[in-house]
Amino acid sequence: MFFRKLWRTMGLYRSQFISMIIMIALGMGVFVGFNMEWYSIQRNTEDFFESTGYADYRIVSELGYSEDDLEKIENITGVDEASRFFSVNVDVKDHESDTLTLTVTENENVSGVFLVDGEEYDENSKDGIWLSDKYAEANDIEIGDELSLVYSGVIEISGTVKGLVKSSEYMLCVRDETQLMPDYETHCFAYVSPAMYKAETGLSYYPQINVLSNMGKTDFINAVNDAFGKTSLVLTKADTISYSNAKGVEEEGQTMGALLPPLFLLIAVLTMVTTMHRLTAKEKTQIGTFKALGFKNKRITRHYTSYALIIGVVGTLLGIVLGFFIAWIIINPDSFMGEYFDIPSRHLYLPWFCILILVAVVGLLTLIGYLSVRQMLRGSAAEALAPYTPGKMKNMLIEKTKWFHNRSFGTRWNMRDTVRHKSRTAMSLLGVVGCMMIVVCALGLRDTMQSFVHLYYEGATNYTSRIYLNDEVTDDKVAELKERYEGDVSASISVQIEDKAISLDVFNVTHDLVRFPSEDTGYTEIGDDGAYICMRLAEEFNLSVGDSFTVSPYGSDDEYLLTVAGIVRSVSENIVITDDFAESAGIDYTIDSIYTLTEKTDIESDSAVKNILTKQSIMDSFDSFLEIMNTMIVVLIVAAAVLGIVVLYNLGVMSFTERSREMATLKVVGFKDKKIRSLLVGQTVWTTLAGAIIGLPTGIGVLQILINMLANDYEMKMTVTLLTCVLSLLLTFGVSLLVSVMVARKNKYIDMVEALKGAE
Amino acid sequence: MAIVEFKHVDRIYTSGDHKLKALDDVNLTLDEGKFVVILGQSGAGKSTLLNLLGGLDSPTNGKIIVEGKDISTLSNDELAEYRAATVGFVFQFYNLVPTLTVHENITLVKEIAPNALSATKMLEEVGLIDHIKKFPSELSGGEQQRVSIARALAKNPKILLCDEPTGALDSETGVMVLKLLLRMAKEYGKTIVIVTHNQNIARMADVVIRVKSGKIKSYEEQTNPVSADEIDW
Repeated sequence: MFFRKLWRTMGLYRSQFISMIIMIALGMGVFVGFNMEWYSIQRNTEDFFESTGYADYRIVSELGYSEDDLEKIENITGVDEASRFFSVNVDVKDHESDTLTLTVTENENVSGVFLVDGEEYDENSKDGIWLSDKYAEANDIEIGDELSLVYSGVIEISGTVKGLVKSSEYMLCVRDETQLMPDYETHCFAYVSPAMYKAETGLSYYPQINVLSNMGKTDFINAVNDAFGKTSLVLTKADTISYSNAKGVEEEGQTMGALLPPLFLLIAVLTMVTTMHRLTAKEKTQIGTFKALGFKNKRITRHYTSYALIIGVVGTLLGIVLGFFIAWIIINPDSFMGEYFDIPSRHLYLPWFCILILVAVVGLLTLIGYLSVRQMLRGSAAEALAPYTPGKMKNMLIEKTKWFHNRSFGTRWNMRDTVRHKSRTAMSLLGVVGCMMIVVCALGLRDTMQSFVHLYYEGATNYTSRIYLNDEVTDDKVAELKERYEGDVSASISVQIEDKAISLDVFNVTHDLVRFPSEDTGYTEIGDDGAYICMRLAEEFNLSVGDSFTVSPYGSDDEYLLTVAGIVRSVSENIVITDDFAESAGIDYTIDSIYTLTEKTDIESDSAVKNILTKQSIMDSFDSFLEIMNTMIVVLIVAAAVLGIVVLYNLGVMSFTERSREMATLKVVGFKDKKIRSLLVGQTVWTTLAGAIIGLPTGIGVLQILINMLANDYEMKMTVTLLTCVLSLLLTFGVSLLVSVMVARKNKYIDMVEALKGAE
Repeated sequence: MAIVEFKHVDRIYTSGDHKLKALDDVNLTLDEGKFVVILGQSGAGKSTLLNLLGGLDSPTNGKIIVEGKDISTLSNDELAEYRAATVGFVFQFYNLVPTLTVHENITLVKEIAPNALSATKMLEEVGLIDHIKKFPSELSGGEQQRVSIARALAKNPKILLCDEPTGALDSETGVMVLKLLLRMAKEYGKTIVIVTHNQNIARMADVVIRVKSGKIKSYEEQTNPVSADEIDW
């Protein structure tokens, strides 16, 4: 019998039940979705790293390593497997402006490939190319097609595409660190066998040994140094783009998972408190009747608690489905993450702690239901039979003021209602604050990203093309090209600060083609007075202007003491110095890039030119990044609107029911529907205004936290435009007023006689 | 034979510093099978008396003996068992469960009452067998009160307690409900206690108790009670 009552009561209060289920589903969905996203990325990338033998350590030397060197490493106790490794960017013949990272690994178990289609990788093949499936798909290349790869316009390697593959070494496949998103149409990777490498180039040059080992970093470095009898440059996984970005995305996901979902869950739980209280209050006479009939408290409690349990369970189940959907939206192959990481499988995994929290939340919701009904059952059966009466009215302090008495009837009525129903008002306020906060945060993120793009790619990147030069280029040639293309030049030196591998970039800027964003929104003029470090390094090594630090170029025992002359914002983690400063400090460098306003098509073919990157290609990759960011922002704004509508509608309906007697009285007295409606909407306007005032700074605060969390990857400065503030206010007020008008319209249908029958 | 005894019963309600003595040293004996009417103005204490007898409330002082058992010291669960087995309630506003059908409202008590009677039979008795699948909101006030009576009797209680059972009904329906109550009580051998402020109903009673300011003002046994048809409303 109680079971039937349960379903019918749920039908009776369907708007409350549905809104609660939506709230719980939304809260759980966002929670599960965001956490599944990072956890699934972690699991999928780890599986990928594992299956393709992603190297734990890379020993690097420009001089290259011999087979004997490899043996020395293989002989280290604790090294599982090792492989000589070579990679270089090459052009693709007949595919103008495309580049591939040509890769050779001697041991396919280390830094190997994952076969998607075609033949298994064959280390003895002399004509096989194992090409990135993404690049092949973007360029309509099929198995069996011939491909010619050209290095420096001189060396050509030709072969047949035998397999389409993925490689964890190129899980994030970008040309260099200035490129944020992969562009599979113009750049990816290809593997050839050591046999083909030797046959086609006559070389056996391997500047890297990749190692699989569980040894600790210090132990490994010591063992390597002992094996070679000298200091070697050893890079860990964390120094590589694919691994560090995978970890970065995981951390961002964890941060997002820890920031937004708890807010949704909190609002859902608090709304549950209010709703369950109101529901049991409305059912109080029935609760009393059951008690009077002889039902024990335990039985009645069980019945009413089951409402909360059902809401919790149904909401949670829907939330899990929504969570899977959200996670899939984020990591599916067509999504931002799909474009960002090239991984073979995208299974969704639910983290174990999510299950614990889901169970805990359902438990909490059930407890809320339990406590609500306990409150109504308190006292004797006779007391339980009496209808619920809200707290008695007391005069507010403000009522003693002349100001209060000069207010209109509507204002005074609404103020008293606000005080009388504090929890309902607080919940409405929280709904508005949540809605405003999320919208400000989402639109502010867009402002920040746009300002970031503007700062770097429209303000700092003033060149049209970046010409990468060969390693062997002479100073005279550099001078000639610099003059011909009226360019600025730079050199990148791989250095270490303590154990961290970073780039020391030496610039000669005379044409203002490259600028360096300062910590504020302007640009820093770099001088010959020291090193300009990026914000991440300043933060990590706790460096300020005037402090000194030591850098050591890879593979050498040289050390240079540099003084911080300024702190700049940078896309990659780097240190910038002028060429004059480098020379005065005795730092050796070789110019490797020329920045010019000349279009790529107008740059003549030259053996000194390795390849050319256009600003447009960087901008294109960033556009897709922004496009996906915009989609996420739209999702967030929709979630904010749903949150606002559900919370406010639920509370609005409750408020309306509670006040129907008052409204009926007003109608009996002679108030017109329009006047009563304006009273109700007036209260909403004030609540919304208060919520918006709190929500705006809260949203900005949350955005700042979010940007601080993203600081490991992007040195962005938070930007919130006036338009964002205005749009957020309009949206929040729009949602709030829409719901308010929807609820207030019910006033027309109040049956005065019926409403006045019940006792308060 | 006495079925109910009130011995020096007080019921004091406390609200902050304010104390209200709803019942003041009440002593009362009710015999089995009688039709008792408790009369009194609003606030006289008659509903409190009924609530105490029904186990909906407990006295502040004194003893209430029902069928030889003191119910004033029972725990909440024991009181629930007492209500389930010994008393049946008929309320002024019927207190039916709106989300259960007429039939379900009655069969509901089967879950708690050890000697429950057939719901269908009870509905036949109150003349509502054709409305078995209807929800309370589809019935008139009189019909709802008849369902309420059927529900109270379906528990097969010793005592039927009615709090202003005709208070929300028009005179014609009120008479019909009273007749039904009397007939059912006689047929099933129940003691009926009706609380009302309607003096006319008292003419039907075997015993009329008048309550004023929390005290029993009079206790009167009537030898020739009139039928419901004879009373002026």
